[in-house]
Amino acid sequence: MLTFFLFFALHTVDESGFQKLVNSHKGKVVLYDFWATWCTGCREEMPKLIVLENRLKARGFELVTVSADDPEQDAEADKVLKQFHAPEPGYRKQAVKDERFINAIDPQWSGALPALFLYDRNGRKVQSFIGETDPRIIEAAVSKLL
Amino acid sequence: MPRLIALAALAASLAFSQEFKLGSKVTDFTVRDPHGSPVKFSALRGPVTVVVFTSTNCPVSNAYNERMNAVYRDYSVKGVKFIFVNANQNESADEVAAHAKSVGFVFPVYKDPNNALADRFDAQVTPETYVIDSSGTLVYHGQIDDSRNEKRVQQQALRMALDAVLAGKPLTVAETKAFGCSIKRVRRAT
Repeated sequence: MLTFFLFFALHTVDESGFQKLVNSHKGKVVLYDFWATWCTGCREEMPKLIVLENRLKARGFELVTVSADDPEQDAEADKVLKQFHAPEPGYRKQAVKDERFINAIDPQWSGALPALFLYDRNGRKVQSFIGETDPRIIEAAVSKLL
Repeated sequence: MPRLIALAALAASLAFSQEFKLGSKVTDFTVRDPHGSPVKFSALRGPVTVVVFTSTNCPVSNAYNERMNAVYRDYSVKGVKFIFVNANQNESADEVAAHAKSVGFVFPVYKDPNNALADRFDAQVTPETYVIDSSGTLVYHGQIDDSRNEKRVQQQALRMALDAVLAGKPLTVAETKAFGCSIKRVRRAT
């Protein structure tokens, strides 16, 4: 289920909603950036990903951010997204159990952040990047799909 | 670009060279004590042993500081041995010692040079825990509990695992996941 959160720019996405989100972006190469306000590496990485999106958007590349924060951090997450001029809308996980949400995104994923999942134009997951990753490696993988 | 992709593939293959898996035997390994001296698992282990990967600056790991002290206190008296390890390459031994003192850890924190132990367990996140039974078999892998925010905790998986192992009963939950900070590894491919 995808829902709009009233007070902030964040939309919420649950386990089943993520696949709908992926389906709605078919036709684009999409990098899903799972991050959190408490994740220093995520906050360091996100501006670089936004630069990459701005550079490759015309070729069909999109960056989608999904916060792994709890609802109590919505205001802070929104502030970070606005500060970085992140693409809108930004999403926040809405999970009854985080473990179920993590497994729905990728059963191989430990839940470690930052985590990036790259999808091709057919909505097929082709690569994941767990932990801080050299931006050149991400760009190379994205460019290969464009 | 092709070289970068090849390096990424190499890094991915290295990241998944897991040796200790659920149900497998945990063989001897070495960590460094707070004085920098090597200490073997065989010298630290007990009838039941818990290995916990921690961090000095990960907010999720730090949210568990008091819970780590509590689980250590509650289960040490039952004979469980704990090996708290810092495998982050961007956190020095001095920082680990200073952090342990400042947050009031009641246990030592060992260092894992070059994240060799984290690689053998394929530990990815802090905090992340492993329970080894008396036969040396890895019987639980996962989180201390299911929420960084104590008010949201629904399942204390590590305590459940320890209670089961100590009682000689099968584990109802052998593996769990939760969000946490990635372990900062040494860069092997440059």
